[in-house]
Amino acid sequence: MLVPIQEFLHRHRTKWVGFAFILPWIVAALWFDLIPFVVNLLLSFTDYSVSTSIPNWTGTKNFNEIFTLDPLFSKSLGNTVYYLALSVPVRLVVALAIAILLNLRIMALGAFRTIFYVPSVVPLVAVSIIFFGMFNARYGIFNQVLILLDLPPVRWLTRPEWVKPAMVIMSTWGFGAQMVIFLAGLQGIPAELYEAAEMDGGNYWQKLFRITVPMLTPVIFFNLIIGIIGGFQVFASAYVLLGPGGGALNAGLFYVIHIYNNAFSYFRLGYAAALSVVLFLIILFFTIVMVRTSDRWVYYGDT
Amino acid sequence: MNTMTRRDFLRASGVSATLALVACTAAPPEPAASTEAEPTAARVEIEFMNWWGSHREELMNEVIANFHEMNSSVQVNNLVQPWDGRAERAATAVASNNPPALIMTQRVETYQFAHENLILPIDDYVQASGIDPDALFYTGEINNQRWQGQLYSFPLPTGGGNTGQYFYNKTVLSNAGLDPEMPITTWQELTTAAQAITQKDDIGVTVMGASLGGGPVGFGQWLYTNAGQFVSDDARTIEFHEDAGVQTLEWMVNFTNEINGGIDNTNEFLAGTSDTSADHPYYNEMLGFLFTGVWQFGHLQATDPDMWEDTSTWGVGQMPYNGNNPDAGHAGVAGLSGSWGYVIPSSTPQDQADAAYQYLEFFGTHEAGGCLFLFNQGRPSPVAQCNENPSYYDSNPYWDVVLKSLSSDVSVAVTPVQTRINDVVATVVEEAYFGVASPVDALAKGAEESQRILDEFWAG
Repeated sequence: MLVPIQEFLHRHRTKWVGFAFILPWIVAALWFDLIPFVVNLLLSFTDYSVSTSIPNWTGTKNFNEIFTLDPLFSKSLGNTVYYLALSVPVRLVVALAIAILLNLRIMALGAFRTIFYVPSVVPLVAVSIIFFGMFNARYGIFNQVLILLDLPPVRWLTRPEWVKPAMVIMSTWGFGAQMVIFLAGLQGIPAELYEAAEMDGGNYWQKLFRITVPMLTPVIFFNLIIGIIGGFQVFASAYVLLGPGGGALNAGLFYVIHIYNNAFSYFRLGYAAALSVVLFLIILFFTIVMVRTSDRWVYYGDT
Repeated sequence: MNTMTRRDFLRASGVSATLALVACTAAPPEPAASTEAEPTAARVEIEFMNWWGSHREELMNEVIANFHEMNSSVQVNNLVQPWDGRAERAATAVASNNPPALIMTQRVETYQFAHENLILPIDDYVQASGIDPDALFYTGEINNQRWQGQLYSFPLPTGGGNTGQYFYNKTVLSNAGLDPEMPITTWQELTTAAQAITQKDDIGVTVMGASLGGGPVGFGQWLYTNAGQFVSDDARTIEFHEDAGVQTLEWMVNFTNEINGGIDNTNEFLAGTSDTSADHPYYNEMLGFLFTGVWQFGHLQATDPDMWEDTSTWGVGQMPYNGNNPDAGHAGVAGLSGSWGYVIPSSTPQDQADAAYQYLEFFGTHEAGGCLFLFNQGRPSPVAQCNENPSYYDSNPYWDVVLKSLSSDVSVAVTPVQTRINDVVATVVEEAYFGVASPVDALAKGAEESQRILDEFWAG
C-alpha cells in the first residue's frame, strides 16, 4: 500500500515541493481572506448585529434598502467617486514626475529618494492631524500662500465644496509608494532605446512621451488599479479630519465611513456587510473594465 | 475651590447626611452590605473598561482604592481607554467571549446591548442588596438606565446637566460694554449680547458671542427651551418638526447667518479646539457664551486653574429660552445622547459578574465612590443626597445654578435606534444652516426619515 503512495509522491515531487512552499500563503489567504469574505457575504443577507445569537435570514432586504431607502448610499458613493476621479490621476502624475526627477544622475540622489519617500511611512493619523492645522482658514499654510498671492482664503474643511479637494491634496502627500514603483519601472527601461532616440535627434520631451511613458504603461496600469482600489477604501484620513459624519453636509462621507457607521455606531452589521458586498462588486467591475481595456494602451513588449 | 480629600469629603458628607436624615423621614438606605469587607472570600479580579481619562483617571483610582479598603475580596483594575473608536471598542468588548466585567457605555448603547441580550439586568442584584434606586437617584436619571422595565446600570454622572446651563466669560462681556453680572435669560437677550460681542475681519470671526451648535444635541437643547419636544414620551412618534421645532431652527439659522456670518464661519472659529484644550476661545477671552454641560466645571478647573479661581472672569447661567413663547422656560435635555452607565456583559463569569455589581453599587451610590468622584470635578451627582452636601457650595461658586438646571432637565425618550435618528437630525440641521433646504422643509424631511427608522424598530 505504501509503495504506490511513495511512487506517486516521488513522481509528482516537484509539484508537492512547490505546493509546500506556497502552503503558508494559501492557509493565510483562506483564513484571513476567503473565509471572512464568504461569512461577510452570508451576513449581508441577515439582520446580524453585535448579538452573539444566530442572525435572522432577511433575504435581499438589506440590498433593497441600500438602493431604495438609504440616502447616504448614493451620497457616500458619489463622494468616493469624486475623490477617486481627482486623487488617482493627481497622485499618479506627481509620483511619476518625482520618480523621473529622481531617476536623473544628480548629487545626493539617495538622500532625495529618502526624503520623498518618508511621508509615505508617517502614520496616517499623524498626517491627518498635521493637515488639519495646514487647512486652518486663518493660520494654515495653504491660506497663507493664497493670501500672499492676493487670492481669497478658502474654508477647506468647513465649506462642503472644498472638503473633497482638501482630501485630494492630503492624499497626494502619500505618493511615495507609487513613486518607488515608478522608479523601479524607469530603471528597467533599456538605455539603448534612449541612445537610439538621441541618434535620431529626439529631444527630452519626445523621449519622455515616445519611450518613457509607453515603456512604463505596465507600471502605470498597476499603480492605477492599486490607486482605484485604495481610493474606494479611503477611511482613516477622512475619519480623523472630518469625523464620522464626513464634515459639512456629509461632503467627506466616503463609502467606507458609511459602512463603518452602520457597523459600529448603529451596530447594523448585516447591513454594513451588504454595503461592503456592493463595494466589492463596484471595485470588481472597475478592475475588470481596466484589465479588459488594458491591451489597448498597456505595452508589455513585443511578445 | 481645591479638590477635597476623602476625609474632608466624608466629614462634610456626614454632616449633610445627618441633616438630610433629620429633614427627611424616608431617607435613602445606606449602601448595601455587599460592598463591606469580606476578608475570608476568595479574591476576584475584574477589569473596569472606561473612558474616564485625563485628570479623571487619578480620581477614579482614588475611588477604586476606597472600594478596595471596604472590600478586600474584589480587585478592580482601572482600564482607561482612548476616546478614538470608543463605540467600536465598547461593542466588540461587550460581544466578546472574554469581556471586561464592567464596561462604561452611553445610554443608547446600553439600550442597544440590552435589546440584544448582551448585558445583564441588575434588578436581582439590586433587590438582594436592599437598596431602592428610585429613592436614591433622580427619577429621570435612573430611568435613563432602564430598558423595557429592566435596570441595567446605575447612572454616573448625570445625564441631565448636558445642556441645562451655559458658561459665560465676564471679561468678554465687559469688553463689549455689557454688564457681566447680568446673565442673559432669553434668546432675545442672547441675540442682543452676541451682536454686541461678535467681531469679524476679512478671514472670519475674531471674537464670537456664541455658537448655537448643531446636530441633535445642539438643536435639541434649543428645542426644549422653546417648549418643543423631540419625540413623544412613548418614543414612537417624532415631534421635532412641529411648530416649536421649525421656529427653533429658523432662529438658530438666522442667528448664525446674521451674527456669525454663517455656519462655516462659526465652525472655522472653533475648528481644532475643544473645551479641554487651553487654546479654546472661551479660555482666551474670544468667546462670550459657551453652551456645554456640567463637565465644564472640571474642564475649567483642569485647563485654566487661574480662571477657575477667579470668579470675576466667568459665570454660569441657566439655558436661555424663547422669551416670545409664553410656554417656554429654562430647560435642559437629558439622555438624548451621552448619559453614561456601566454594564455587565452577559458572558461575564458569575463570580466576576457578582464582583462587578459590587463595584458598580459602590461607584454608583456610595459617598466615597461616585459622589466623591463627581464632587472633585465640581459636577453634580445623579444621587440626589450627594448634591445636598454643603461643601459643594464652597467648592463650586455656581452650585445653586447647577441644582436649578438639574431640576429643569427633561429626560428624552430614546430607543436603541436613536443614534441613527440623531445622525438624520444632524444632516437636516446642517442642510438648513447651509441653505440647502428651508428649516421647515429640512425638519419635515428629517422627521419622515426618523419616523421610518422608528417604525421599523417598533415593528421588528
